[in-house]
Amino acid sequence: MFTSTITWLAQTEVFIFLVGLGAIIVYRLLTGEINTNYLLYGRKKGGGRYFSPERLQLLLFTLGTAMFYLNDVLQHRTSGILPDVSPQTLALLGGSHALYLGGKAYMMLFKKSSKGE
Amino acid sequence: MLLLLMQAGQTATQMQAYVPSWVSSLAAWVALGFLGFVGIAILYYVFTGRIDLSGLISEPSGEASMSRFQLLVFTFVIAASLFLIIASAGPPSFPKEIPNGILVLLGISSSSYLVSKGIQHSSPEGLSGRGPQVTIKADRSETKFGGPSVQFQADVVGLTDESVTWAIDPIDFGSISSTGLYRPPDAQSPPAGPTTVTVTATAKEDVSVSDKETIKVS
Repeated sequence: MFTSTITWLAQTEVFIFLVGLGAIIVYRLLTGEINTNYLLYGRKKGGGRYFSPERLQLLLFTLGTAMFYLNDVLQHRTSGILPDVSPQTLALLGGSHALYLGGKAYMMLFKKSSKGE
Repeated sequence: MLLLLMQAGQTATQMQAYVPSWVSSLAAWVALGFLGFVGIAILYYVFTGRIDLSGLISEPSGEASMSRFQLLVFTFVIAASLFLIIASAGPPSFPKEIPNGILVLLGISSSSYLVSKGIQHSSPEGLSGRGPQVTIKADRSETKFGGPSVQFQADVVGLTDESVTWAIDPIDFGSISSTGLYRPPDAQSPPAGPTTVTVTATAKEDVSVSDKETIKVS
């Protein structure tokens, strides 16, 4: 009886912590209390800002992968095993990150701002 | 903390085989109480603003960071998934293994964040949140009397006016132009021996912002 109470309490504590922290973060992201300014903008060498398609695609891939994985977990939650991520998904995500980092490196280290930026 | 909490309940069960049940139960209660107290304190401080989350995904420059954001998303997703899997199994149990795909996913996410920081710190623009800065670079570290000139370059970050004034110390040991070109003294009038010249670039907009570089003239 003690063991089941302890297990229940441990689950409750983790649940409250995760949901509480997640809710606070999501609320503050939506209300702007957590800074999201220029999330989709990059910096060029010289200081100019530009709208960054590589950041946009990374945002979409990140949210997409996260939602698909969570959906997978919900469908197999009683199995007791964490679902694996397919190699194709990992390759796509890796490519997305490489594009983001390559674009950032090129613009920040090589691409000079032109006048007026 | 998530892992500690979830394993506390299981540990109590496993310990019963070796120690009296009241000892294992007491240990589990103490562990749960302590971790629960820490969790509530963290949530309370976050909620009241004593733990400031406003810069959670921000760069030092104040702009939001995509690499931090994706790391946050994946961390939460994997933590929530682990909780769901553990809590939904009957009886609750920790997965026997973490799939390689999850480890690779977290590896991609974390290494992307690290590489992004590396790129950022390789560029003066990435450091602009640290306040105005002047950084001097030279195309060589030493020259000779009557020898080649040394071109200095000053990178100004965080100021609207990026122009600087150049100065050398000792003041009459060669000359420096307004573009940062240092000419060493002539070979005909060398002093006693090698001399180290300090070159200073000072931002015109803010004279408190400057940087120094030395060059050896022999």
